[in-house]
Amino acid sequence: MLKRITLIAVTLLVTLSLSGVAVAGEDGNKRKGKYTYRKVYKACNARGEVDIAKPTLNPDAKTQAQWTSVFENKEFAEFGCQEEWSQLSDKELLDIYSYLHAHASDSPTPAKCK
Amino acid sequence: MLGIHWKPVLMGALVVLSAAFLGTTLVSGADTPSPDQAPGRTMAQQATKSKALWITTDHTKIEKLQKTFSSGDEVTAACLSCHSEAAGQFHETIHWSWMASAADAPKRYGKAGDSINNFCISTNNGTDKGCFSCHPGWEGQSGAINCLVCHGQTEINWGESFEDYQAFAESDDPEELEIAAELQSSIQTAVQSVGRPTRQNCGSCHFYGGGGDGVKHGDLDSSITKPSKSLDVHMGTDGQNFTCTRCHTTVLHNVAGRIYTQPAALERKSLIEDDLTSKITCESCHSATPHKKGSKANDHTDKVACQTCHIPTMARALPTKMSWDWSKAGKLKDGKKYKEKGELGTVDYMTIKGQMRWEKNVKPEYAWWNGSIKSTTVKDVVDPTQVVAVSAPRGDAGDGMSRIYPFKVHRGRQPYDKVHKTLLAPLLSGKEGFWNHLDWDRALRKGQAALDVPYSGEFDFVDTTYVFPTTHMVAPKENVVSCGECHTGEGSRLAAISGLYMPGRDGAGVVDAFGWIMVLGALLGVCLHGLGRIFTNGNGKKET
Repeated sequence: MLKRITLIAVTLLVTLSLSGVAVAGEDGNKRKGKYTYRKVYKACNARGEVDIAKPTLNPDAKTQAQWTSVFENKEFAEFGCQEEWSQLSDKELLDIYSYLHAHASDSPTPAKCK
Repeated sequence: MLGIHWKPVLMGALVVLSAAFLGTTLVSGADTPSPDQAPGRTMAQQATKSKALWITTDHTKIEKLQKTFSSGDEVTAACLSCHSEAAGQFHETIHWSWMASAADAPKRYGKAGDSINNFCISTNNGTDKGCFSCHPGWEGQSGAINCLVCHGQTEINWGESFEDYQAFAESDDPEELEIAAELQSSIQTAVQSVGRPTRQNCGSCHFYGGGGDGVKHGDLDSSITKPSKSLDVHMGTDGQNFTCTRCHTTVLHNVAGRIYTQPAALERKSLIEDDLTSKITCESCHSATPHKKGSKANDHTDKVACQTCHIPTMARALPTKMSWDWSKAGKLKDGKKYKEKGELGTVDYMTIKGQMRWEKNVKPEYAWWNGSIKSTTVKDVVDPTQVVAVSAPRGDAGDGMSRIYPFKVHRGRQPYDKVHKTLLAPLLSGKEGFWNHLDWDRALRKGQAALDVPYSGEFDFVDTTYVFPTTHMVAPKENVVSCGECHTGEGSRLAAISGLYMPGRDGAGVVDAFGWIMVLGALLGVCLHGLGRIFTNGNGKKET
């Protein structure tokens, strides 16, 4: 019995951890994520790495599945400004993900960073 | 004795005078009229001599603009608390009403009326909310005026800023309150940053007409924001650096230059003739005979508009949309909507919009034009067996008013009612719009109902044209259209122009034969006269 409960618990944990990021799109604060995302590039611009203090990738640059893949695998090289990205907390990453995911190219409201 | 010294003295004086003249010219700079330049250019330089504009109010010091703003209406109220008459004036303008002229009644010409085009076709009486991103109000036509669309000197997304500010300001999260404070600071900076309209202000809508950069106008796109002199001699930042309002002068918030059912100017007058005239025509500053005395070009100005020669091509920096085929819309790839880019980097196909063609360095098409435009509305009956002119220039060679003028002609293929023989206005954006569900019949029913015009339920597509007078992107004088590009029998720019005889382009046997007889006769006369002199050994003067 204990073995069965352990197996179910482990299965549940693995399933939840794998789907965590995907589900996170619903949980993060996308409005706050938009400003956190912009703040990354303001700081990066102030540091002198980029010429423009605006994000290089708009939310509609990728589909929702592509954004999920990027954040699941933490493949942030494409964003540039690695110093700032490495300092973001999990909560901040979740907020940014929620924003990008909500306005992806195949979302109901695809958006650019105006 | 005098003969020995006279020549060196005269030569010396000439050298000194020439050196003095050249020195003066070099020191005087580009804006000082040169004695041998065209008088029209000299007049324009005099008329626009002062470039330093001034303000009498520093809006950062106005107390009413230092409060917390949480909505657009609060900003408008602050503006109007000093500029008390501005709203009343602005509500009467086409910029606000989107209606051409009350004098057109019962026709309802205008974006907010029954007018249509062959781009996104119609605003559907205001039902298509997508169109209102360019209306100078906070909430479409019903809200208060957003004065800062035209007068704001700081770029800001008002809708997003207010919406996010209101959301964050009510939060108990310190980080969100910090963002709210930053947003309010940006809003206040923008509210206090007020001035005369810049090219950026006007261009934020007029460069993007039709939903994108250079879609509608061939001579207005974002390249005009900071153009070079080679792109536009008037607005070039390395030249005169004119703002739009330098020519589009304003009375009671009515901006000169709108061309719809009425011409931009009823008379082509120079400022010498009327110092309060608008500067909207070329003649306002350059006069009707702008070229040097004796120049053949001055003989053209009664029949040929200045723009015809001085704007050889449009869309010289960025491409402009030249055709739009709505009948191709609706295709899916792998069951999904898609878009394809063309050689110029522009989107040439979109599932929701159909097939489009873009071009750069476009030669205009030419027509006789009296300054007003004839428009087809959703209520006008059309002949679907012909190409339908949704808009066309009015005028002809014999009306005494018209001149040959350059146009961008945008060609479309758009839906029409097979029973009523009228052009149709589908609803495009929103949940019920074609872009969402790709169902033409459903979109047409919604769009026509919004306009309160009948739809039989049977539709097809018809070829159409829509014209834009070309008046910006005036080229430097060394790049103007040469005489030979029009006065030629093959490939003349004015091949389609009728109603006048053009040397070089037209050949009338009798006229040509008569002309050659005159030329040969004159030559023969000169020869005979010369020979007579030789053989009679006389020059007609008596020996003294």
